[in-house]
Amino acid sequence: MSFSSEKADRSWVAQRLPSKDDQAGLLVLPGLLTYGIFMLYPIMYLIFLSFTNAGGAEDLIQGTYDFIALDNYGRLVQDSQFWTSMGVTWLFVFVSVVLKIFFSIALALVFTHDRVRGKRYMRALAIIPLGLPPVFTITVWRQLFSPARFGIVNEVYINIAGFLGQNPEPIGWFFNRWMAFFSYVVTELWLAYAFMLIIIVSALQDVSSELHDAAKVDGAGYLHRFVHVTLPAIKRPVWFASILTGAASFQQFLVPFIFNMGGPRRQNEFILLYGFREAFQSPPRMGLGAAIMVIALIFIGMFMWINVKKGRLAEGLSDQ
Amino acid sequence: MSMSKNILGEIKDDIVHGAKAPIRAGREVVGTVRALRDGRASYRDVGLTAGATLGAIAILLIILFPLYYMINVALAAGTGAASLYEEGFFASPTEYNLAAFEWLWYESGFFFRPNPQDPTVSMWEAFTSSFLANSLQLVIPTVVFSFVLIVPAAYAFSRREFYGRKPTLYGYVLLTQVGGGISIAALIAIYVVFNQLGILNSFLAVAILYAAGAIPFNTWLLKTFMDNIPESYEEAAIMDGASRWRVMWEIVLPLSKPGLAVVLIFVFLAGWNEFILAQILLSADKHPLSVGLYRLIDEFGTPWGQFSAYALVYALPVALIYFFSQRYVESGLSFGGMEG
Repeated sequence: MSFSSEKADRSWVAQRLPSKDDQAGLLVLPGLLTYGIFMLYPIMYLIFLSFTNAGGAEDLIQGTYDFIALDNYGRLVQDSQFWTSMGVTWLFVFVSVVLKIFFSIALALVFTHDRVRGKRYMRALAIIPLGLPPVFTITVWRQLFSPARFGIVNEVYINIAGFLGQNPEPIGWFFNRWMAFFSYVVTELWLAYAFMLIIIVSALQDVSSELHDAAKVDGAGYLHRFVHVTLPAIKRPVWFASILTGAASFQQFLVPFIFNMGGPRRQNEFILLYGFREAFQSPPRMGLGAAIMVIALIFIGMFMWINVKKGRLAEGLSDQ
Repeated sequence: MSMSKNILGEIKDDIVHGAKAPIRAGREVVGTVRALRDGRASYRDVGLTAGATLGAIAILLIILFPLYYMINVALAAGTGAASLYEEGFFASPTEYNLAAFEWLWYESGFFFRPNPQDPTVSMWEAFTSSFLANSLQLVIPTVVFSFVLIVPAAYAFSRREFYGRKPTLYGYVLLTQVGGGISIAALIAIYVVFNQLGILNSFLAVAILYAAGAIPFNTWLLKTFMDNIPESYEEAAIMDGASRWRVMWEIVLPLSKPGLAVVLIFVFLAGWNEFILAQILLSADKHPLSVGLYRLIDEFGTPWGQFSAYALVYALPVALIYFFSQRYVESGLSFGGMEG
């Protein structure tokens, strides 16, 4: 079927169907309402809470709290823990996204390479981490980074050092700020590479082989062809995936939560964990926690905004 | 029409095809050796291919090492933490047994709570208070609600024009990847709202919450799937006098099967894997498998054999479903929005 005939079909169907069918809107309404009640209403409520000095849930249910306007936000700006957690969250987003991009492109190149046989099966196995329960995956990684001698990462480290003639102590991964941060990054990399791999592989398969062959005939080496042919072709999907995966990194909650509660000494407390702890610790400070979460939501919204604007996720919406 | 072929049938074909892979690989090796002998292939060429393949396999093994590790620990003799490690990790355990799985069956609460050997409690009673029963009571309504809410909406977005279509879709696209973050950020408010409405500790309420969180991403995903179904099929049906609803039920939905399968997997995963909301919104006797798993983790002595056995039985079915429907997931995630 040629392109033009499909266009003709569309107009034919359009003639039969009413141009506006507001009954169809009713099909969307239940989902929209459910989302509104269960997600948007709590978010509104969260914004309201952030202007109060509510402590625990009892306060809210009995109404024993006061409206304190922007005091929570003012308090946060002066709280060094807020800046620590903002800083460490953004550092994590930056480091993990850069590594995810490099790692996933490298993997995608391997698993689409002409010389690799059985790559479809390898890809099917490689994306299994996407289907595993995060609690499971993250706990396994916590075990691999176990500070004790039998933690596999320590084991590898000690073996390599032993091979080089040294005899170091095992690393206390979770007791040192940057060691713990490193372990989070590696874990996030493992959690997220599969998603990027899928997107980059499908982009690579669309790269025209004629361009590659032409470049080959012109005598371009592998690196040259990668930089000048492959990379421009996969730029858009990679950008798109980086924003999404950046949003995911920013929302990372379970890794610090399960590893060591954002420790040591709250130095790796990512923003969502920080808000969660303020709200549910004892004594609880739900008002303050809500303010932290509202700030986090503003940044999450920013990611999505950039992606829709720049990644043109919503492309095709405008011409319909 | 290959698209309307039964998904189970396609998955079966995939399994058969996959099972025959070693035979095909063997034939290729034999063919290559013959070609080398006859001088039809160069040693350099074959060497490079073999090297690249082996390299790719090595990379894959390194990536998937954590999985191997869990399986190894689950099968290692004893259920204590120390048994595996006395000689260092790379020393294989000297003995394998199923002690951890026996624990899983009788004592973990995974399948039965309390112990099914207790004569005062029937098997059924023990099952209905297990983590598994709790998980099913969460996941089944989640899937049902999601489908009821997502499928008609995706159809309307894909095929009809109506008031507010564009802004709604735009909003859904904005929300696609922030489901988890929003529900954690809004957790404080959700807890209070649930408390006020008196629906704390209800499977149904949590299931609807999960379904609500899944709406933007999955509606949009299914819509992009339906966009790719040519409208000429519907045209033919309309010409034959089919009503608009019959067109939806009998043409568009059957053709969207791969898309529906992906949505099913994603929605199921969302309900099956989530644990932070379940832990806060449900009481201990209603906790699902994910919370049960989390509760095994202890800073000072997680029983690794038991943890691994639990985790494997919990994760494996989902991972297998995922593995066999990987093709659909790939085509689902490599959606549009990237062309041009």
